[in-house]
Amino acid sequence: MLQTIRERAQGWIAWAIVILISIPFALWGIQSYLGVGSEPVVAQVNGVEITQRALDQRYQETRMRLRERLGSAYRPELFDEQTMRAQVLEQMIEETLILQVAQDLGLRASDQELRLAILLNPAFQKEGRFDKATYQRMLALQGTSEAQYEDSLRRRILGTQLQRAIEASAFVTESELAEAVRLEKQQRQVQLIRLPKAQFLSDTPIPDAEIQAYYEAHADRFRSPERVKLQYLLLNAETMDLAKPPAEEELRQRYEAEKDRFRKPEQRQARHILIALDPKSDAQTEAQAKAKIEAVRERLVGGEDFAEVAKEVSEDPGSAPQGGDLGWFGRGLMDPAFEQAAFQLKKGEISAPVRSPFGYHLIQVTGIQPETVQPFEQVKDKLRGEIAKEQGEGRFFDWAERLANLAYEHPDSLEPAAEALGLQIQESDWLDRQGGEGILANPKVLAAAFSAEVLEEGLNSELIEPEPGALQAIVLRVVAHEPARAKPLETVRDTIIDQLRDQAARTAAKAEADALLEKLKKGEPIEGYAVQDLGTIGRDAFQVPEAVRKLAFSLPRPKDDQPSLGSTSLENGDGAVVRVKQVIDGKLADLKAPERDALKRRLVRALGQGYYDRFLEDLKARADIERKPLETASDF
Amino acid sequence: MNVYETDEEKAEAIKAWWKENGLSVAAGIALGLGAVFGWRAWMSYQDRIAQQASAAFEQLIATAQSGEVEQVQAQADQIDREFPNTTYAALAAWVRGRAEVDAQRLPEAQAALRLALDRAPDPSLKRLTALRLARLLIAEQAWEEAAAVLERYEDDGPFRPEFDALRGDLVAASGQIQQARAAYQRAIEGGAIQANLLQEKRDDLPPSS
Repeated sequence: MLQTIRERAQGWIAWAIVILISIPFALWGIQSYLGVGSEPVVAQVNGVEITQRALDQRYQETRMRLRERLGSAYRPELFDEQTMRAQVLEQMIEETLILQVAQDLGLRASDQELRLAILLNPAFQKEGRFDKATYQRMLALQGTSEAQYEDSLRRRILGTQLQRAIEASAFVTESELAEAVRLEKQQRQVQLIRLPKAQFLSDTPIPDAEIQAYYEAHADRFRSPERVKLQYLLLNAETMDLAKPPAEEELRQRYEAEKDRFRKPEQRQARHILIALDPKSDAQTEAQAKAKIEAVRERLVGGEDFAEVAKEVSEDPGSAPQGGDLGWFGRGLMDPAFEQAAFQLKKGEISAPVRSPFGYHLIQVTGIQPETVQPFEQVKDKLRGEIAKEQGEGRFFDWAERLANLAYEHPDSLEPAAEALGLQIQESDWLDRQGGEGILANPKVLAAAFSAEVLEEGLNSELIEPEPGALQAIVLRVVAHEPARAKPLETVRDTIIDQLRDQAARTAAKAEADALLEKLKKGEPIEGYAVQDLGTIGRDAFQVPEAVRKLAFSLPRPKDDQPSLGSTSLENGDGAVVRVKQVIDGKLADLKAPERDALKRRLVRALGQGYYDRFLEDLKARADIERKPLETASDF
Repeated sequence: MNVYETDEEKAEAIKAWWKENGLSVAAGIALGLGAVFGWRAWMSYQDRIAQQASAAFEQLIATAQSGEVEQVQAQADQIDREFPNTTYAALAAWVRGRAEVDAQRLPEAQAALRLALDRAPDPSLKRLTALRLARLLIAEQAWEEAAAVLERYEDDGPFRPEFDALRGDLVAASGQIQQARAAYQRAIEGGAIQANLLQEKRDDLPPSS
């Protein structure tokens, strides 16, 4: 049989088998090259993948950090998930790219730099110095190993090295600085002819058709807002009648019931002399120790000073130097036998030898503070506050729950709830989305009032607690609703006429200014206009109307004593002609050293960051970046 | 292909083949292993060099912050001497250039940036360096040299507005007000770094006619 196999093995069957077997081996792992069946990928940067999972994780981290930073100001609805995801992804793409580029350029994060970064991180320090144990604990908290952390730190150092290089080498030349000062501190000598809008206001009647057209064209301006009238039940200290203080009797009962809280147990101060003895020692040693302590007792009874003797013979190293003093202690701290003796002695009396696991003691009580109980009068106010709070809270939560249930069970009316709880139904005035006063201005309350359930279905709202912890709750329903609607033409007619006249006056004033400008440019004489000298003004001359200032500084620099001219319309509708007679450049030499340094630093920083941004953009433009359309992750 | 009658014959054939080719097979394996290990040793050597250069460069940045020009020069020179073929040589030249500018020595700064331009191994780095060099040349009123640098390195990528801004400076200096205004305008619209300052520059130009 083997012979047959051998013969056949030379033939085509063998080849077929070999080929069949080799196929799986050849294809093994190929999917990791083709990207088939692996994780979903959201982007590729020069062939390096960014997976959906990495993006999700990074997105969650970003959100968490945002929440921590903003604290209570954080509102999830302020951040559009799609936009934020796209931003996070863009950031990841940039990081991936810059890391690749750094690698390709042969940049490395040195071990030295890595060590320094770890040693100088305050999170890993204890008492101002790096502490290995703290380092390991911090990493364990984050769930990373040292190798992982160091790897990611290395990448971070490498990823920022180019940026640091660009920013550290940014410079501003002296002439650039001078140019910046020349322009920023520039002053211009300006004259102004002002054509007040009021002069162009006419009271000629405006045709109805025009008013109608304006009304229709600006329908959104002439709408009254959507309004509602509310009925509501309010739970708070007043409506629940919590103001009533607890009776004296109640306070006394509480005092009696909780007397232990106000009891300060007996305390004693004692000193002792110990002849140490192993609890398992034999009878002979025991007898020796006993004899020894009796002898010491004799000395004490004979009138020797306790403290002196304790220092001399006590075998308790903790107390002997203090003359055996143990300080003040209450029950439950000392060995039971010791305690029993110590709490039975009179002050000054010397105990008989007491056997404890430590050996034989002689005890003398040097001070007694008897048990004290704070009298009722002293704690009355405290109790009153506690009871009021407990009752208030208890009652509030109880009532709130009942109110919520009743309002839910009878969604078409507040009456049952009001009756059951003895609350008064209150009614609001008309409210638009801006809200009313007090609790009716609260955004949560308004959101409920204008919610689909309450507004459209006419149901009671849920129980709303506008401010957590404030013991305040409200249930409301809409009793009248007025949708947003166009104000009738007649009621806004006068407003429209005013607006139309205003518009016409503005246009006329500007036209007059333009006409005047033309005349001035041609050198024709002008008469009857007041020319106002504004003097020399800087870019920050806030006393000059903004439009004038902007125009004055955007007009070309006067050439050959030929003033520059321009016209504009002021915010209040006045027309204006501006004449720039002279430009006085800012001088670097006029800057004080600190101001000059600050300006230089600002420019250098702007250039450093700006160049890095451009550099990154340039890298991106050259890279092969593929972004897949983003979808929301399914796991939240 | 020969067909062998017995196992002995086969063994003989193998032995003969080994005698003939054994040496070259062994040599081949040795060569292969040598190449693999050699490559790895080379890589780790490269890595070590890069790390040394990196550490030296980080130190240079720290020195530059303390503002000792001579020390910056010395350290930058050392990096260029010891690691001339690394990107760090270019980065070090940048830092040196800045120190020279701060010390009011523009010719030295130019030399440093020219060196950086020479050492920079990447087009994006080159463009950035070219912009800086051109600014130095403009500061020295070396208009033609500045124009040559711009000419050589400008492209339509994200650095475009910065090149436009410098072009504006160049043509404004030669009195071509209209072109200058147009160049500044392009730069501003392209989102140049100091758009505000450029606007002020543009508005400060005298009338073009």
